[in-house]
Amino acid sequence: MIENQSIYLALSVVLFIIGAAGAVCRRNAIVVFMCIEIMLGGVCIAFVTFSRAHQSLDGIFMVLFVMAVAAAEAAVGLAIFVLMYRKHGSIDLDKFNLLKW
Amino acid sequence: MELVFLLICGGLAVISSLLVIFARSTLHSALWMVFSFFMVAVIYVLLHAQFLAMLQIIVYAGAIMMFIIFAIMMLNLRQEQDSKVNTRVSKVIGVAALIVLFLELMLVSLGHSLSAIQGPITDTLVATHGRVAVISNFLFADYLLPFEVVSILLTAGVIGAVVLAKRVK
Repeated sequence: MIENQSIYLALSVVLFIIGAAGAVCRRNAIVVFMCIEIMLGGVCIAFVTFSRAHQSLDGIFMVLFVMAVAAAEAAVGLAIFVLMYRKHGSIDLDKFNLLKW
Repeated sequence: MELVFLLICGGLAVISSLLVIFARSTLHSALWMVFSFFMVAVIYVLLHAQFLAMLQIIVYAGAIMMFIIFAIMMLNLRQEQDSKVNTRVSKVIGVAALIVLFLELMLVSLGHSLSAIQGPITDTLVATHGRVAVISNFLFADYLLPFEVVSILLTAGVIGAVVLAKRVK
């Protein structure tokens, strides 16, 4: 146990839910992408909190790998957005329903 | 003192994350996102993960947000196109489900005490060897294979981005 542990965990939950709500509500693909980054940030705070509480480094490595995956995701995702914009002239997610149902 | 910093920076992180969602222009969203990343970096420092805080600022606030702002500038989005939060019925249902999820997560994360298993990374070990040395010792011994796999992933990401963005004749 570390001091203020419940506040750190509450903060991570709040950030995760804010990110998820933004990903649900917004239609702009880039804003949805940033909301996913907020969700990742919330999860990372939980990882680091548990890592500190248990005196272990595993959570910190998990955050390192999350950062690397987020960087790769940003590169590929933004390339996809550029392609979407080039094809349709917009990145409004409600207009893209080819794979929805 | 730690509690004061935690409350201020955590509150600012939450507020700036909300502003990412509610900002009218995409560029303002991106700038609030940078601020939010800085506040999360402060939280990492409070959790004694200074190395991660530096990486957070360099990788997230530096590299990834530079990518995103670059894309926003390049795409020339019309601001009125997405000026407000969407309020269709399905999205309201989605937000309601998220509120339920929020309550559940709060209950789980605050209602239970963790197991008292303590790992080998004590504060005295970190103080004698230095945090980066301890991290690198573990990273290049126990986590060598995931580390190499991540390098392959990053290479694949870069190649994928180039292939996707290349203009097909």
